[in-house]
Amino acid sequence: MKTTRTTNGLGSFSRRSFLKAGGASALAATLVPGLMTGTAKAAYSGTLDMLAWDFQPDTIKSLVGEWTAAGNPAVNVAVIPNLGYTPALQTRLRGGDKIDLYYNFAYNSQKFINEGWANKLNGLPGVDDMIADMFESARRRHVNAAGDIISAPYFSAVHMLHHNAKMLADAGLAVPTTLKEIYDASKSLQSKVASPYVAYWVKEFCEEYLHTYLLNEQITAFDDAGQPVFADDPKTVGVFEWWQAMYQEGLAPKSLLTDDPGKLSNEMAQGNAAFYVLHHYFLTSIRSLEGPESANVNMAPAGPSTLQIGEVLQMGQSDSEDERLATWDLMKYYGWKDADGKFKVFNQWAKAAGLAAPYAGFFTDPEVIASFPDYYDLAMLSDTFATKSNVVPARTLPWYPDFQAKVGDIIHALLLGQATPAKTVEDLTAAAKGAQGGKTL
Amino acid sequence: MAAAPDLSGLPPKADRAFGLKLVAPAMIILIVLLALPTVLTVIYSLHDVPASGASFGPFVGIENYQIIFSSPVFWRSAQVTATFAIGFVVLSTLIGLAMAMLLNQRFIGRGLARALLIIPWATPWLVIGILWKWFADGSVGGLNAVLLMLGLTSDYIPFLSDPNTAMPITVLAAVWRQASFAGILLLAGLQTLPEELHEAAQLDGANWWQRLTNITLPWLRPVLITVTVFNVIYAFLQFDVVFAMTQGGPGDTTQVMSILIYRQLFVNTNIGLGSALAVILGVVALVGGLVIVRLFYRKETM
Repeated sequence: MKTTRTTNGLGSFSRRSFLKAGGASALAATLVPGLMTGTAKAAYSGTLDMLAWDFQPDTIKSLVGEWTAAGNPAVNVAVIPNLGYTPALQTRLRGGDKIDLYYNFAYNSQKFINEGWANKLNGLPGVDDMIADMFESARRRHVNAAGDIISAPYFSAVHMLHHNAKMLADAGLAVPTTLKEIYDASKSLQSKVASPYVAYWVKEFCEEYLHTYLLNEQITAFDDAGQPVFADDPKTVGVFEWWQAMYQEGLAPKSLLTDDPGKLSNEMAQGNAAFYVLHHYFLTSIRSLEGPESANVNMAPAGPSTLQIGEVLQMGQSDSEDERLATWDLMKYYGWKDADGKFKVFNQWAKAAGLAAPYAGFFTDPEVIASFPDYYDLAMLSDTFATKSNVVPARTLPWYPDFQAKVGDIIHALLLGQATPAKTVEDLTAAAKGAQGGKTL
Repeated sequence: MAAAPDLSGLPPKADRAFGLKLVAPAMIILIVLLALPTVLTVIYSLHDVPASGASFGPFVGIENYQIIFSSPVFWRSAQVTATFAIGFVVLSTLIGLAMAMLLNQRFIGRGLARALLIIPWATPWLVIGILWKWFADGSVGGLNAVLLMLGLTSDYIPFLSDPNTAMPITVLAAVWRQASFAGILLLAGLQTLPEELHEAAQLDGANWWQRLTNITLPWLRPVLITVTVFNVIYAFLQFDVVFAMTQGGPGDTTQVMSILIYRQLFVNTNIGLGSALAVILGVVALVGGLVIVRLFYRKETM
C-alpha cells in the first residue's frame, strides 16, 4: 500500500514522527520483535541472494549467518571489490542476475528504481517506523520527493574537520569553522607545516567536497526540482576562490589531486598536516596509525553545516511476495535493527571502523556508545547528524551520476589554475543542466 | 572419359569442405566472442539504449556520433589518447629493441636477465598501475627518492598531480610492461639471425650502425611489424594503468578515450553513447594498426 506522504517531504515526516512518538511508539516498542521478524520467516523457504562490496566480508557473512540461524532463510552472500562496484552491479543486473538485496551508492538509488533494478519499499511492514526513526536530515536520502521509499541505510557519515588540537593550541589558534578561518589558520601554520590542509581531492571525490564547502557557506546547491541554484548565490564564487587559493598557495599539498585517504590519514598522524576534512570515521584511521601526532587529532564540525553522506541497501526484484517480505526482513535487520530492537549490524560497523547509522537512537544506545573509542565526541557527532548536516537530496536523482562524473574535471581545472572561479560556476551549472537535459560526454 | 582439369586454382571441393570443418570450431568461437559483440556494439551505437538493457531502445541513427564529434571533451580526449599512443608505441618498441639486442649478447647472468624480462609482462596491467602509483608518489615514492639520490632533483615532485608530468609518468608505467613484451618477441627474432651475416659485414668494414640498419633491422622487419601493431592496439585501448594511477586526472590531462568509454558505459550507463565511442576507438586502433603494416611493407617492397 502506498503511503500518503506528501511531495514536499520533510514537514510531513516530522508530523508523522511526532504522531508516532506520541501515540504508537510505546505500543510499537512492545511489538517491535514481532514486527521485525514478520510472517516471512515461516512463509518463504527459498534462499536469498545478497551482494556487497568487500568491506570486512567475513563480518558481513557472519552477521547474515546469525540472521539465518535465528530461523530465517539462508542467504547467499557475494562480495565484490568496492572499486568498480557500480559498473559490476549494473552489468550483473543488466545481464538478468536476480539479487534480492544489495549495497548501493546513494547517488544510484533513484536511477536503479527507474530502471526497474530496485523495488520501492512503500507499504512494507515497519518501513514507516524505520523512516520515522531516522534523523530528519537523513530522510531525503531514502525517501524521494514523491514520497517513495527507495532504500534503507547501510551506513552514514558526516564530513568533519579533523584537526591537530596541539598544533592549534601551540600557535594560539582556535578551531576554525568558516572557510576563511581555515585559510587564515592554515596560513599561520604554514611556517611549521608546509601544507597544513589535506582533503581527498581526487577527481571522483571532488563532488563531495563541492557540497561540503558550499554547505559551509550555507549555500543551497540544488533546489527541490534539481535546478543548480548555487549559480545564483553570490557567495558561490567566493567558495571557489577559497578552494583555488588553498591549492595554488600551497596550503594544501600539490599531490592532493591523486593522494588516497590512507596516505592523508598518515600525514595527520605524522604531524605533516594540521587539518583533514573527510568523513568522521577517518578519525579512527588517524588514531589507529599511532603516529607521533595521532593522539592530538580530534574532530570538529566542518562548518555551520556540512555534507551528510550514506550508502544504502536496495531491494532487487522478487519472484513472490513471500520472497519480498523475507528480503525486507533481512533489510530491516541489516539496515535498521535486529529482532530484539538492537542496532546489531550498525554496532558491528561502529566497532570495526567508526561508521555511524542515521538514527538518533543509535547515538544513545549504551552498546553503541561502548563501541566507539573514547576520542569520539558522540554528542557532537549526533548533533552534526541531527541539525548541522544535509544530504543534498538532488544527489539521489537519476541524472546525478552523470553530473557527479564531471565535477572532478571541472574542479581540477580550477585547482590547477586552468579555470577561474567564475568559469567554474559556469561549467558546473552547464554540467548539471547537461546531465538533466540528456546525453553528454 | 577423363575429367576436365580444374583450372580455377582452388583446391578440390572435398578438400575445401574438409578445411572448413577443421577451422569451424575456431571460427564459431571467434564469431561468438568477437564478431557478435562487435556487431552488437555497432547496433547499440545507433540506438538510445536504455540502461536496463531490456531492448535496443529507439533508433537514433548517427545522433550519438554527432554528440561525440561536437563535444570538446571528445576532442581533448582524442588529443590525450594520441599523445599517449605516440609515446607508448615509440618507447615500447625502441626500449624493447634495445633490451632484445642487449640480451642477445653473451654475458654472465644472461639466462637470469632473460628470465627477468618476463616479469613485467607477467604482471597484470592493473597491478602495474598500482605499483607505479606508489612508485611515483609525491611524498613517499621510490622514484623521487632515486632522483633525489642521483642529484637530478632537489625536492620531491608530485608527478601524478602535475599536469606536466602526469602523462609522461603514465606512459612510462605502461611502457615498462609493454617494452618487455616487445623485447621478448624481438629477442626471439634476433636469435634466428645467422651470426655469419654480422661477421661478414664486420670483415667488410661495416660499423655498428651500418650493421644495425642494413642487417639487424631488415631481418627483424616481420617481428617488428607484429610488435608495432600490438603496441599500437595496446596504446589505443589502454585503460587499467591510467585509471589506477590518475583516474584520467589531474583534470583531463590523462583522460584517454578508454576512460571516457568506461564512464559512459559503466558509470553513466549511456550505452548508446559509450558504444559509439567504442566504435570510434576501435576504428582508430584498426586504422593505426593497418597504417603501420602498410608503412613497413611498403618499405620492404621499395
